[in-house]
Amino acid sequence: MRYVLRKLAQTIFVVVVVTFLTSIALRFLPGGTDVIVALKTGPGATKEQAEAVIKELGLDKPLIEQYFSWMGNFLTGNWGQTFQTNQSIAAEVKRGLPVSTYLMVYGQFLALALAVPTAVWSAYRQNSRFDRAATTSAFAMLSMPNFIVAPILILLFSVNTKFIPYPSTYTSIWDNPMDHFKAFFLPTLTIAIPLYAGYMRVLRSDMISTLQNDFITTARAKGVGTGQLLFKHALRPSLFSLVTSAAVNIGALMGGVVIVEQFFLLNGMGRLTVESIFRREYPTVQYAVVILALIYIFINFFVDLAYAWIDPRVRAHRALG
Amino acid sequence: MTDIDVITDENAPVVPVLYEEPVRKVKVRRRGRVTKWLAIAWLAFITISAIGANSLPYIPNDCPTNSKTCADALTSNLRLAQIPPVWATFAETPKPVQGTPDHLGLMGTDKNGRDLFARSMLGARTSLIIAGLAITFGLLIGTFLGMVAGYFRGWIDTVIENLSNVLLAFPALLLAIFLVTFFNDPNSTDAATSRPLWPIIVALVILSIPPLTRLVRANTIAYAQRDFVVAARSLGAKGSRILFREILPNIVPTLLSFALTGLALLIVAEGGLAFLGLSVEAPVPTWGAMIAAGSEPLRNGGWWISLMPAFVMFLTVLSVNLLGDVLAQKFNSREAIG
Repeated sequence: MRYVLRKLAQTIFVVVVVTFLTSIALRFLPGGTDVIVALKTGPGATKEQAEAVIKELGLDKPLIEQYFSWMGNFLTGNWGQTFQTNQSIAAEVKRGLPVSTYLMVYGQFLALALAVPTAVWSAYRQNSRFDRAATTSAFAMLSMPNFIVAPILILLFSVNTKFIPYPSTYTSIWDNPMDHFKAFFLPTLTIAIPLYAGYMRVLRSDMISTLQNDFITTARAKGVGTGQLLFKHALRPSLFSLVTSAAVNIGALMGGVVIVEQFFLLNGMGRLTVESIFRREYPTVQYAVVILALIYIFINFFVDLAYAWIDPRVRAHRALG
Repeated sequence: MTDIDVITDENAPVVPVLYEEPVRKVKVRRRGRVTKWLAIAWLAFITISAIGANSLPYIPNDCPTNSKTCADALTSNLRLAQIPPVWATFAETPKPVQGTPDHLGLMGTDKNGRDLFARSMLGARTSLIIAGLAITFGLLIGTFLGMVAGYFRGWIDTVIENLSNVLLAFPALLLAIFLVTFFNDPNSTDAATSRPLWPIIVALVILSIPPLTRLVRANTIAYAQRDFVVAARSLGAKGSRILFREILPNIVPTLLSFALTGLALLIVAEGGLAFLGLSVEAPVPTWGAMIAAGSEPLRNGGWWISLMPAFVMFLTVLSVNLLGDVLAQKFNSREAIG
């Protein structure tokens, strides 16, 4: 219980610091109110018009006051409208969040599903032909950023074979599962390829060192089968670095796949944030950042729990202290 | 752990594992050496092309030194638009009109009829200058901060640690976008000054400092407790002397291999920014912007427009990564990098 309370206090502290820093940093972006006025009234606004716009949006108040009124809006759920298009910010976020979540979940799942068996087998048969093929290909994949993978995949699956429509439109999984998976297939693959390469390398090297432990030899001597040995005895102690890097990636994937979203014309959180920065939509950026930060903290909390599951020593340590 | 079943099974092809071992090892080593030299050769080729891009046969020789005008000199010629590379006999696009210069065949041309090979090489210049300068400054600053934090500890360490934690908490690409937007002045109407090179370099330097600082700090802490440092200190050496004469030479190998990995990451980061239109101004070619420009023709058959710069970029990043890996293995510092 005290652990949970302490975590909660930490969360609030981090959220306040992050949003406050964001709000200050946003105000320091060049152009600032000029950009907002220009987008709102069109070019050649008079001084009076500009002042009216700034007053209407409450941008003339001191920064601290703006921040606290934003904080109040955030807590009461009354998020207001975007500066430029008068659309509800809550609706924009609600549109972006599921897209990002799907991308993140599918990408992670695919990458892990491919990486774990490959890495385990590579580590078990180190320097075999399979291992060499796996490590070489992973090395090559690591050098392929999203914007190189995406055109290749589009060419292979959409242009040449017409297997998947491009650009694909987002459909909810509940409305039309087939269209949904078709739309997410290529972006997921694009995200999963570099992730797979990273995971595979991390898990392989950890697994190799685990397999040199005495308890593996003991288990082998007791007659434990290969599958049992690899997946029940050796995998769990080798998961530490993999879990850490997968967790770090969750945060990055939720907000940082702008390029993939751009390439496949999906409206996720990344695009929302970046375009809001360009348009100086201060509140929208802050809401997006809060949500990303909350997700990040939430995930970290679960990762802490996962460490305890992976390694009983962590559990014991925590119970003592 | 040999599978005894396999050997005793009469039907299975007998694999004399023990005898093949030495042969295999030699093979692996030779393969590694070949790829290493291929990587070096490619990087040399791309660097020379980037430096001498102005005098490449495909680019007008009388091009002024200003690279912006030089890129403009590769003016659009719509008659030559979207010509596939000659080797792409399977491409369904109309073959070039008569009188097309032969050299356009190497990588084809883009929507505006500009030679993709020439533009890729000019793009190499932009990318390599930006990424190279960024990693150099990042290394200088990161090494300094990391050594100071790791050697003196105390409040300096706490301050540096917390600052880098704040920077690391943001998604890297968002932070880069933020920084580039911050340093670009939208009020400036003059195109040449509104998008100079330095904002991108500064943004990438800031991005690269926290991880480099961490790495150097960890290494410094490890060396600060070694006997030779203690000996130097007890002889009365000053902090600065210990840092630069005793500790620095020892962490340079680790730094070198990490610098190459960092260079690859920064080339990718610059590509990402350019893809989003945040790198240098449009007519100056960069790989990221070229790939972005090719994403639209991709749908109607113009696949090479995206893939050619992507291919050049991939080979470059791969070569840099490979060399970084070779160095890391040579200095046996893999743990320090992870």
